[in-house]
Amino acid sequence: MAAGPTTGTDGRPPAPTGTASRRMALGALLVILVGWSLTGLEITIDRLLGAPGDAWDIFRRMFPPAFAEAAERGVVGKVFESVHIAWIGTLIGALISLPLAFLAAGNLAPAWVRVPVRQLFNVIRAVPELILAMILIPVTGLGPWAGALAIGVHSIGTLGKWATEAIEGIDEGPLEAVAATGGRWASGMRWGVLPQILPVVTSQWLFRFEINVRASAVLGMIGAGGVGSELVSQLVFRNFPAVGAVLLMTIVVVLTIDTVSAAVRRRIIRGAGRAPGNGTDGDRNAAVLADLTGLRH
Amino acid sequence: MNGPTIAARPTRPRPGARTWVVLGVLITYTVFAGRQVGFDISTFWNVWSNPLWEKFWPVPWDWVLDWHNVLDPLLETFQIAVVATLVGCGLALPLAFAMSPLTSPNRTTMVVSRSVMNVVRAVPDLFWAKLLVTAVGIGAFAGSWALSVFSLAVMVKLFSETVDGADPRPLEAARATGGRRLPVIRTGVLPTVLPEYVAYGLYVFELNIRASVVLGLVGAGGIGRVIEAQRQYFRFDRVLGILLLVLVVVIVIEQVSVAVRKRLV
Repeated sequence: MAAGPTTGTDGRPPAPTGTASRRMALGALLVILVGWSLTGLEITIDRLLGAPGDAWDIFRRMFPPAFAEAAERGVVGKVFESVHIAWIGTLIGALISLPLAFLAAGNLAPAWVRVPVRQLFNVIRAVPELILAMILIPVTGLGPWAGALAIGVHSIGTLGKWATEAIEGIDEGPLEAVAATGGRWASGMRWGVLPQILPVVTSQWLFRFEINVRASAVLGMIGAGGVGSELVSQLVFRNFPAVGAVLLMTIVVVLTIDTVSAAVRRRIIRGAGRAPGNGTDGDRNAAVLADLTGLRH
Repeated sequence: MNGPTIAARPTRPRPGARTWVVLGVLITYTVFAGRQVGFDISTFWNVWSNPLWEKFWPVPWDWVLDWHNVLDPLLETFQIAVVATLVGCGLALPLAFAMSPLTSPNRTTMVVSRSVMNVVRAVPDLFWAKLLVTAVGIGAFAGSWALSVFSLAVMVKLFSETVDGADPRPLEAARATGGRRLPVIRTGVLPTVLPEYVAYGLYVFELNIRASVVLGLVGAGGIGRVIEAQRQYFRFDRVLGILLLVLVVVIVIEQVSVAVRKRLV
């Protein structure tokens, strides 16, 4: 601050001007938007006041959960089926997205290849797994394979996007070194690029696997294998203790996978001994989170 | 030969026994999971000769671009996402401060709120929707409830990490003046994390738009209700038309949101 803002009589710098009216306008816009949105949701005072009670009632009736009954119906197997679906789906997505990411990276591919591949990623990302599964079920029949395929295809979009960002962030030195030895294009990719991105990309795959476990649980609701179908059928029978058991089993498996996968990702990114990352980041590594949210600085 | 001779190449590091074990376990599990799932490579080419594809074309645009058929439910989807984002992010603000070691009033509050939020986040979004549809009845009301819960969980996760990483010095300065808890947080932490709060809020809004498209499949209102109905009649041409429309809306919202977020952070 060369000129320096003039200080007021009490020594404080003056408050920034011009923001108050903008804030008012933004606030008014938000209020109007929300007011209009509320009109579309069929809200009555009755429902608003009654809803927490109704929801609480259902949660109360889930206890004690009927684990024995659920186990008899094979819910444990169904939960694990969801995990299998997520694993196979993630692998399909990973194996297809990795080569495509090389074609989408700004530093490796010319614009006429890059742009269509990126658009492909965007389009795939915009179609939810559930819709994909709906379209696939007539081809594969009801069952886990439709779910795995839907998850695989949908994962191509996000995994491709993340891997592209990883490739664009590489150090180009090794690539140049391979070129200097007379290596072919493929050798450059194999020895110059792949070793640099592999740790990040592997942790992205694991992160996607965590997301996919939840997604595959949901896919069961439309008949694409996994726990979802059990949740739906028990809710239809209003057998709430069994619903509670299904929910709790799902939560336990999801949390276990999250914890193990987060530990493995941390080990991959930071290595065993050295710890270059910041210490505060509890269980999501910052790079993957930044990729996920598009908030990379 | 004189001059320093170049020593033989350093020996190449060999993968240890542990690597082979891990690899073996992963491959075995993959084969096992593939069997369980019914992996069938032929689907990749059979899918193209599916007679169903003919039903996707041509898209009946005059049916799709009709207020009653599609646009009204699409607006409902948008409304659900707006309300859910606001409720979820509003509740997330105090909760995130309760969860962060920097600002939490005491350890018990921190541990309890963290564990509750972890459990809430472990339940997939459509499970919430289905449960709440059962509780409060079919419609957009249940959908906005379910998405509120879900956005609360996601927002708290993202935002509490920002609070964890906030600069502790302004907080210390505010505490040194003898301020009470809320004013200290208000002046010491909130200004430094507010831009990221808004940015994450916009990101959660994007997630909610995507999620609210499928809410209707379980009876929680919005455009998904129409998609599900048309699928049951095998009107895949209409489904495709709706999907294309949704795609445009999602991409436009995402572009706007990304642009705003870039300015904020």
